Amino acid sequence: MGRLVVSDLQMHYKTRKGNVRAVDKVSFTLEPGRALGVVGESGCGKSSLGLTLLRLLPKNGEVVGGSIRLGDQELLQLTDEEFRKNVRWTKMSMVFQGAMNALNPVLTVGSQIAEAIVAHEQTSKKEAAARARQLLEMVGINPDRYHHYPHQFSGGMKQRAVIAMALACNPQIVIADEPTTALDVMVQAQVLKAMADLRERLGLSMILVSHDLSVVAQTCDDVAVMYAGRIVEYGPVEEVFTNPLHPYTQGLTQAFPDIDAERAPIVSIPGTPPNLINPPAGCRFHPRCPLADEACRRIDPELAEKGRAGHKVACLKVSDDGQAAEVKFA
Amino acid sequence: MSGTYIWRRIGYGLITLFIIVTLNFVIFRIMPGDPTSLVLSPDFTPEMRQLLLEKYGLDQPLPIQYVLYLKSMLTFDFGRSFYNRQPVLEELLARLPNTLMLLGTAFVLNVFIGVTLGLRMATKQGTRLEAAVTGVSLFLNAMPGFFIGLLLLLAFAYYWPIFPIRGTMSVPPPTEFWDIVLDRIHHFILPVAAVTLSGYGSWYLYTRNNVIGALSQDYVLTARAKGLPEQVVLYRHAFRSVLPPIVTLVFLSLPGLITGAVITEQIFSLYGVGRYLIEATTQQDYPVVQGAFYIIALAVLISNMLADLAYGLVDPRIRLR
Amino acid sequence: MSTNTRKRKSALREVWDEYKRSPQGMFGLVLFLIFLFIGVGAPLLTPYDPLEDRGLADSMARPAWMRFFPKYRNAPVTVDALSLRDWNVTVEENVRLEWGQRGEEEVLFVSPAGPGPARFVMEYSFDYHSDPPDTFILQVPYSFEGDTGVTGRAAIVLVDPSGDEYRMWESRVMRNQVRWTTQRVDSRDMQLKTRLGFRPLANLAHELIDEKGEYRFLLQFEIDGADDEKGATVTVGQSRFRIPGRLHGPLGTDHLGADLWAQFVYGTRTSLTIGFIVAALAVVVGTLVGIVSGYFGGWVDELLMRLVDVLIAIPFLPILIVFVAVVGKSISTLVVLVAIFSWMSIARLVRSQTLTLRERTFVEAARAAGAGPRYIMKTHILPNVLGLVFAALVLLIPSAIVTEATLSFLGFGDPRVPTWGRMLQNAKSFGAFTELAWWWILPPGLALTILAMAFVFIGNTLDDILNRRSSER
Repeated sequence: MGRLVVSDLQMHYKTRKGNVRAVDKVSFTLEPGRALGVVGESGCGKSSLGLTLLRLLPKNGEVVGGSIRLGDQELLQLTDEEFRKNVRWTKMSMVFQGAMNALNPVLTVGSQIAEAIVAHEQTSKKEAAARARQLLEMVGINPDRYHHYPHQFSGGMKQRAVIAMALACNPQIVIADEPTTALDVMVQAQVLKAMADLRERLGLSMILVSHDLSVVAQTCDDVAVMYAGRIVEYGPVEEVFTNPLHPYTQGLTQAFPDIDAERAPIVSIPGTPPNLINPPAGCRFHPRCPLADEACRRIDPELAEKGRAGHKVACLKVSDDGQAAEVKFA
Repeated sequence: MSGTYIWRRIGYGLITLFIIVTLNFVIFRIMPGDPTSLVLSPDFTPEMRQLLLEKYGLDQPLPIQYVLYLKSMLTFDFGRSFYNRQPVLEELLARLPNTLMLLGTAFVLNVFIGVTLGLRMATKQGTRLEAAVTGVSLFLNAMPGFFIGLLLLLAFAYYWPIFPIRGTMSVPPPTEFWDIVLDRIHHFILPVAAVTLSGYGSWYLYTRNNVIGALSQDYVLTARAKGLPEQVVLYRHAFRSVLPPIVTLVFLSLPGLITGAVITEQIFSLYGVGRYLIEATTQQDYPVVQGAFYIIALAVLISNMLADLAYGLVDPRIRLR
Repeated sequence: MSTNTRKRKSALREVWDEYKRSPQGMFGLVLFLIFLFIGVGAPLLTPYDPLEDRGLADSMARPAWMRFFPKYRNAPVTVDALSLRDWNVTVEENVRLEWGQRGEEEVLFVSPAGPGPARFVMEYSFDYHSDPPDTFILQVPYSFEGDTGVTGRAAIVLVDPSGDEYRMWESRVMRNQVRWTTQRVDSRDMQLKTRLGFRPLANLAHELIDEKGEYRFLLQFEIDGADDEKGATVTVGQSRFRIPGRLHGPLGTDHLGADLWAQFVYGTRTSLTIGFIVAALAVVVGTLVGIVSGYFGGWVDELLMRLVDVLIAIPFLPILIVFVAVVGKSISTLVVLVAIFSWMSIARLVRSQTLTLRERTFVEAARAAGAGPRYIMKTHILPNVLGLVFAALVLLIPSAIVTEATLSFLGFGDPRVPTWGRMLQNAKSFGAFTELAWWWILPPGLALTILAMAFVFIGNTLDDILNRRSSER
């Protein structure tokens, strides 16, 4: 088991109007067995980050800089074929939104799990099918439903099947992209619990991409807050959510209803995420930030540890000892 | 797939057939002139006239005629041709092999070329090759079928006389078995090419567009993420999911082939059912036309039912509609 | 209402703004406009009637621009003297000439001015610099009326540039009355050939008109024996002479020597008209069926959709052929019949749109407010389906055009209407293929293809835009 070290990763989508800098100099480290949450509004680059790690970008997406190291292997140097054979699913797998369209409607659920095993291991189809049944059972689905089609599954079952699929080749890292978004709250809780149990049992590392802070808060050890293709705040979940330093994180934490605080007003951050073809100069958040001043418009803040250990933030308004003004969004 | 589904389909099919056959009856009886002219050529002998009049009950009132008509249709008894007084069924059957050979070959080629090319080009979307193939296909698809036939004729039968201008075999016909086969093939290449060139385009465009659509689906992303080889992603995931509508279309498009037969056989003067239909129409040989119609109706019905059944088989989501 | 129309106008603007950005759409539109221009401007683009004006040049003459190819540089051009006025009177001895009418036709009365022999010669001369022609034809209508004892003679003479004379025809001695006859001199006439001393299979036109220079045709009339009491009159009608050219117009001529460009131009008009009318009819029927089916649902829907299924499955070309043969080959029945088999796709589209619209709040609100089905369908559903219907309409046009062309090609078109399909039918039936007359075969076929493609481009572009808009709503 190796750690995943991402440094200065840059990924652009080439469009006719210019390059969309969807992932811009992102760095983080994922220790084995840990879970990292990636949060942000839609369009902040968090899903692109997941796709970049598994090299699933559309044709116009291109990694233009940085490195992704898994253990002592530089993943960006592998050819497509090597990457497909040796990394996808065997080292890193992905949990998609199962309730939507992640399962092929015309193939049985079981065969879709088994085919991943067949693609990577020297096993017979029979063995692969047996393994797929075990996996289904592991996520709490009756293995006899191997031969059923996706439309015969409920939303929660589909999601669990997708999780079983992600575990098919014993990966070290699972990237989960909005795994519970389309599910109702009860089912969401079940699925999250299943994921947490499995992670513990199998000792997996996980990257959870979500716009839902409460999901991240429940499942992850660390959290990275992304804005406009950048990580603007990073640290242990407890620390970041209880003591958010970046004005944007503060806005996000205010924007989600806290289950404990009854009837907390739902606040959202005014304005929209910037155009990533031509991002604003200086701090990218300054057009929406109530604290922004002349310096923020000029100077691009670096992500740096401020205050408590492991708590990094990219904001000029946060003092080096981790003191930040409290921001209120209307 | 449940039994009720099948029975319902068959029921619909029979109703459809009934409507078409009835329409057939009505159309030929609202025509100007003597309704007996439907089965009686003016130049039949009086005895023959009388015999046929009684046989088809044309001296009876319309409702009884209708029943008799239904009976004769069910027993494939279409009467005799006005033109040469042969039984219509025999005449049709004599021409059927040529038509089947033309349409069968061309149809298989159409679907095969169209679908494989569509699948290939869907993965090459945005390349110059794909743009060229799509452009040519769009062009051929827009070109009227008969004009494609005419162009082939002009180029390969008149300008470079590589292929015969007309007919299904040489005059005099060869005697050796293999010579006969080669002669037939020689005569069929241009007509088959005409039907194929005018027909593959729609299969190509349909497959290409659907596979491109499927390739952007989440489940294809999943399949890629799983590290499946690209071929498996393309065939097992993308193509498999567009297969149901294609299979349905294969069956649904079968009756439409008769259109191709009519046009192509006319252009290349082939001895087939399509050209026979035109001849019979211009010669007002109504028993032949009626018979041909009935067979077309049957073909429509059967292929529709096959399409429904096949769809049920290839698409797991369909059980009862 | 006014805000509503304004809203619609701005929606149209938006669609157009988006449309402008699609190269495919604009390409289709330009092609369509070119054809529209040709179709609308047909009478300005050609002086000829496509069907009536025959014999404008030789049958299957090549396009005039082929003159630029060395092989056809000197191809025979049409020489034509259409009326008597084109002939000059060169000898007038003791005759009185008087122009008059004979029925509709302008004629020349020739009678002796005084006693003694009278002679009268008319001449048509032309400079000929092309290769020898294949044929020439001369026709002279005339009659003779004289008192007893007065005789007349007539002759037709050709004088070639070197002065050699050929007597093409000589009349018998005319007495009393010779009724109105049209004397024809045809270079293909075998008797004429032998009389002039050529072999019966010789090409007389090649033999006689074989040099470059001025040729003269003379019509000679002599009247003898007239005096103060007895007279005579020779009546000469519209005499025509022609060498049919081997080159003619932008596209040449067909087997009857009719102008192919005229047929092409008027065929454009026919195709466009048929396409639009069929599509319009189909849209009306399809929209009606679709809305009713989708709005009422239940057995109405079931019945109508079954009908749609059946009609869609029927291979309609053979059916159309029989219908046309039964009902008669007229353009209006053809349009109606094609429309009968074209509305189903629209009905399906409108039905599915109606099904979703029916559940929308504004429809439910209207229903709750007590609006009747007719009102709801008209004011709430119809306006909302029109956009997509329009795209579908454009996509119907090419298939209607091709269907009509196919029917015409197979010989089931209206014989009184010039169409592209019929041009191709004629080309196939009357030897364009053996002559490799590609200038006859290619234009109508390619025009059909390009026009169909233009509509497909326009329709697809509109469909994309309107679908996107309706899903964004």
